[in-house]
Amino acid sequence: MSETKHKSPYALEVRGLTRSFGKRKVLDNVSFQVKHGEILIIMGGSGCGMSTLLRHIIGSLKPDAGEVYIDGTEITKLNDLELAKVRKRFGMLFQTGALFNSLTVGENVALPILESSDVAPHIAELVVKLKLELVGLTGFEHLKPAQISGGMKKRVGMARALALDPDLLFCDEPTAGLDPVMTAVIDTLTVDLTKKLGLSAVVVTHDMTSAFRIATQMIFLFEGKVIAAGTPEEIKANPNPILQQFINGDADGPIPLKLSKDDYLKRLLQA
Amino acid sequence: MLRAYTELSLQAFASIFAHSPLFGQRGWRLSALFDQMVAIGVASMPTVGLANFLLGIVLAIQGAGQFEKLGATDMVANLVAFSVLREIGPLITAVIVIGRSGSAITAELGTMKVAEEIEALNVMGIDPVKYLVVPRLLAMILMMPVLTVLGEGVGLFAGWLISVTALHLNPIFYVSNSIDAVEQKDLFSGLLKALFFGAAVGTVACYYGMQVEGGAEGVGKATTKSVVTCLTTMLAMDALLTTLIYFVL
Repeated sequence: MSETKHKSPYALEVRGLTRSFGKRKVLDNVSFQVKHGEILIIMGGSGCGMSTLLRHIIGSLKPDAGEVYIDGTEITKLNDLELAKVRKRFGMLFQTGALFNSLTVGENVALPILESSDVAPHIAELVVKLKLELVGLTGFEHLKPAQISGGMKKRVGMARALALDPDLLFCDEPTAGLDPVMTAVIDTLTVDLTKKLGLSAVVVTHDMTSAFRIATQMIFLFEGKVIAAGTPEEIKANPNPILQQFINGDADGPIPLKLSKDDYLKRLLQA
Repeated sequence: MLRAYTELSLQAFASIFAHSPLFGQRGWRLSALFDQMVAIGVASMPTVGLANFLLGIVLAIQGAGQFEKLGATDMVANLVAFSVLREIGPLITAVIVIGRSGSAITAELGTMKVAEEIEALNVMGIDPVKYLVVPRLLAMILMMPVLTVLGEGVGLFAGWLISVTALHLNPIFYVSNSIDAVEQKDLFSGLLKALFFGAAVGTVACYYGMQVEGGAEGVGKATTKSVVTCLTTMLAMDALLTTLIYFVL
């Protein structure tokens, strides 16, 4: 893709994002950038603020402080209408797919197409076929979400996220619950899209194999702070014991596992 | 809470008038409205009919018991006609719609909220108020008077049926008595109530659905709250409108 179509060298830039729920800082001065065509992996333990971070980036939540730039446009202070315009340029794959149960698979994928532009229904139908083929679900248009498996729902969610040919793709746990083959399919798809279409992706995941397979950049969140950032090689070589424990999946290490109820409450309530 | 409710209602009404999804660019929004009109209205018809039928019987029998003492059993016709059109018809219809459709709206929207579907709409740049709330609210407002007319018809018929069979009243005389007893004003005041009930139930049910938090438990709690609030709001509105109509018209 030509560089001239972009306003900013970064597809996504997050500066000093801070958010507290009550006294607890869930996000603490989080900053990072994603260049066009890059895949950024956000890693971190459960409850380390990854989903919260993603919700701030897509504009569902507003931060206490800090800015989020989507291709140079600051979105944290936009109103709903302006935000809707920016959102048309990105796709989001939700953890559970978030498909509409009352619509068929095909209608789900067609929804953003029909709602955002004056596309004729037969063109939309064609696009739906293409997108479903992309995720390996040709011929599933007429099934309802309740009739397909969890992994398939996720792939339909992916097809829907790609329906409008977004510049930026957000994935919340795209491979959780998928078998290894389907994980590889989704991974290859994500890499292909960035290489061939110049799309950028931000992926939240716990799956280390998949993360190292597709990442061009990685950040590691721990208790709301970015404690490591870099290329996959740099992350692998990073001596931080918390990070190493996470990458290697060791049960022993500095990440606290057994908390007493009192400690947990203290951590929740203290700044 | 009241502020959030007002905001949602204003936004929904603004969407109805400003964007007029009825005549929107894509015709299938109209089909969303029709779907809701069927779910809320057409599917409620048997229950609304049954409830009104039973209450028509009750009204006639109860009235007969009192009028008999005065030797004026004929007055049953007046009582049934007047109270069905003015009060019982709109009221019992609203109660049925709240229990059937109001709760369904809250539960459906709440489940969508919990399953991230509403957030997904937002992220796709689709306004959930326009897409989900407007068809439901509009269907409520349109179908409540329709159901009320239907219910009133069935209620009046039930009153007539029990009067001519069990109470041995003259069928023709009963009808002419009924017609004499009511004016157009009575019919319209009942329908006006129905219109307001529809708007209230639609907005309250959607509001509780859209603000659900915390999984299946949240959906259950919100549905209960929605039904209770719909009922109390509807009764309060009924009292207010009855008073207003009495003094103003």
